[in-house]
Amino acid sequence: MLRYLLIRTVQTIIAVFAVATLIFLGLQMTGDPMENLAPQDMSDQQVAQLRHAYGLDKPVYVQYELFMLHMAKGDLGISFLSGEPALGLILERFPTTLKLVLVSMFIAIFFGLPMGVASAIRADGWIDRSLRFLSVLGISAPTFWIGIMLILIFSVNLGWLPSSGLSSWKHYLMPAFTLSLYRIALFLRMVRSTMLDVLNQDFIRTARAKGLAERVVVYKHALRNALIPFITVAGLQFGALMAGAIVTEKIFAIPGMNRLALDALYADDRPVIIAFIIVTAVLFAVINLVVDLLYAFIDPRVRYA
Amino acid sequence: MKRLLILVVLVISVAFAGGDKLVVAFQGGAVTLDPDMRNETTTLAWQHHIFDAPYVFDAAGKVVPMLATSIKNVDPNTWILKVRDDVKFHDGSSMTPEDVAFSIVRAATHPKSQMKGYLGKVESATVQADGSIVIKTKVPDPLLPAHLDHAMVVPKAYLEKVGDEGFAKHPIGTGPYKFVEWLNADHLSLVRFEDYWGEKPAFAKVLLRNIPQGATRVAGLLSGEIDIAEKVLPQDFGRVNNSGRAVVKQTPGVRVIYVAMDYWREYGSEGLPKGAKNPFMNPEARKAIYMAINEEAIVKKIMGGAATVAPQFLAKVHEGYSPNIHRFPYDPKAARKILEDLGYGDKDGDGWLELPTKDGKRVPFELRVDAPNDRYLNDAQIAQALASMLRDIGIKASVNAVPKKVFFPNMTKGHFTLYMAGWGSMDPINTVLSMFHSKDASGLYGRFNREHYHNAQVDALIEKAAQTFDQSTRKKLLVQAMDIAMLKDVAYIPLHYENVIAGVAKGVDFTPRPDEYIHAFEAKK
Repeated sequence: MLRYLLIRTVQTIIAVFAVATLIFLGLQMTGDPMENLAPQDMSDQQVAQLRHAYGLDKPVYVQYELFMLHMAKGDLGISFLSGEPALGLILERFPTTLKLVLVSMFIAIFFGLPMGVASAIRADGWIDRSLRFLSVLGISAPTFWIGIMLILIFSVNLGWLPSSGLSSWKHYLMPAFTLSLYRIALFLRMVRSTMLDVLNQDFIRTARAKGLAERVVVYKHALRNALIPFITVAGLQFGALMAGAIVTEKIFAIPGMNRLALDALYADDRPVIIAFIIVTAVLFAVINLVVDLLYAFIDPRVRYA
Repeated sequence: MKRLLILVVLVISVAFAGGDKLVVAFQGGAVTLDPDMRNETTTLAWQHHIFDAPYVFDAAGKVVPMLATSIKNVDPNTWILKVRDDVKFHDGSSMTPEDVAFSIVRAATHPKSQMKGYLGKVESATVQADGSIVIKTKVPDPLLPAHLDHAMVVPKAYLEKVGDEGFAKHPIGTGPYKFVEWLNADHLSLVRFEDYWGEKPAFAKVLLRNIPQGATRVAGLLSGEIDIAEKVLPQDFGRVNNSGRAVVKQTPGVRVIYVAMDYWREYGSEGLPKGAKNPFMNPEARKAIYMAINEEAIVKKIMGGAATVAPQFLAKVHEGYSPNIHRFPYDPKAARKILEDLGYGDKDGDGWLELPTKDGKRVPFELRVDAPNDRYLNDAQIAQALASMLRDIGIKASVNAVPKKVFFPNMTKGHFTLYMAGWGSMDPINTVLSMFHSKDASGLYGRFNREHYHNAQVDALIEKAAQTFDQSTRKKLLVQAMDIAMLKDVAYIPLHYENVIAGVAKGVDFTPRPDEYIHAFEAKK
């Protein structure tokens, strides 16, 4: 087990350095950061001084070498815009995004999983059909539209919920629901189909034949088997939300790390872009690890030697 | 004891009664609270709450003293600045002339200072025995008082103690509001500075927020969470004004949206068919384009009234705004006639005007209109409208609207023939030097004159104006230069000034400024 964790950690570190290299080189191809960084009214000579102050006048390979040396020490550089450490800026906002995503994932699983089971048990019944219809709406409605609609209804017309920010539990409701709607629908459809697969298998028939209660058949035998693909997808969705809640963060003016990363992208604030991608890469590695460990927990056949 | 209790209760209730909070929503957020490190409107607007400067622009665009009491120019490169002696920093210490001199030098020389465009000419600032500050410049700068707007005053001792990074985390200034807490680019929480030397602001607490989405800003305004929302979009004007909770306030801004044309390549201009002659070297052809544009319609239909028709490049608040310049009339027929008379008429009868090529052939007058699509209000739609107006006079115009990240580098490299862009500066000398003076190798003149407009007479007038210390003479020179450049040469086609727009909640009295800064301390109850 320990050896397994060690190998995974080493793999992650290699991946992070590879990702960092790719991003660093990729950003070099997007042009001169000074075009966005230097104000229009500075002379060419003053821009050159500014370029020097940020170390951007050095050859690319020197910049790369410095970047890698600093990264090895955990220093991802200073934000061009704010002058603060880039990694610090991202980590300062990480908990905000994490809280929002955890709440959304909780809502999505809380509703999506039982709905999927309910759909599968009475396949093609009226519950199944209406849930499937609603899930199509949930999957196809654009996040942007849902967010704006929620704000118009609950903030402007009813005046119940605050329209922006994230400073009380009330603030979480609309953005978390906006984020979870798609996931509820996704989990519902996914659990339904895997449950149906499992329910048609021989061991379920055996379980029923030996006279087990239907409740035990469904929840102990069928659901447990259907959970494995579900956990994979839920893990991926978690990662996708952490690094992709951008539209929701923007509409509800939530100070999450995605919005910071998007602003950095527009302003060509390279250290922040790189820090965001590295944080995301590490996050995905951790999520994958957790998912793998959960497999072993749920399915005793899976063990890591 | 009882008396003390009553007093405490009284003080608290007064504090809360007058303790109204003002929430202002911006489209962006300050990225740093160090006043010298980022020259960008929202960042500066947030900083203005914490810091004062020796001189500032008032809402009418006039330069007025703030921390300064007087400034005198003794020779072209030397100024004597005197500052107030009754000013306190937020930590209770008194502001000294040393602090002011230190702040000017910091803005002028800090390696990462972005204020060098304004203060880069300053060589030194030293304090005399009598407390006056002697400012030496490397070259004459008649507009130095206006440029001191960007030398926000910081406390020397505190800054040297905590360093740049520490200072940006907890800034101290002499401004009307004290720093409480902030999250970079998200919000800044402020409380009124009760020892402020000037007029005390009406609101005791202020929260400046970054709400990037226009619809969300309006929603917050209508639900009562926000008191002032900047950049309300034209499509929301009706909803805000009819809500009974807020109104939209507009002021014509200093940012002019204009069309520029290639002035330097007779052949090989990149927005024209290969090998075709560039007609825009001739001011008559530029005038024809000018007359083909129905700007009234653009302001009404595309801008939804959120802009003001611009008769000239400089704005009304600028020194150098000429009383003689009016728009050329919108007259598509006359415009086409001008182009036909210049020899670009339709000879093959297909309805499109034609351009001669180098080898004596004629090709259809195709023209690519370049524009950004994410920089100015409705920029891509304006470009579409321009192209369709040009098609009306027989120019086969197409639009290439791209993100600003692609647009501006291409503009700088001169890849365009005819394009739409914007220019906003409070400083008319900077504007004419950058946009109207011919390009030179030193980089001092014509830095943003990417289309290589040049007229020796205009150059001479501009150079003279840039070194003239007497305001009325300087103004006359600028007006003369603008009259030639805009009327005779048609150097640029002005379209409109973007209005500065704010949604203001009922119960708050606030009018936006032409320079786009939203200041909570200018709001009244």
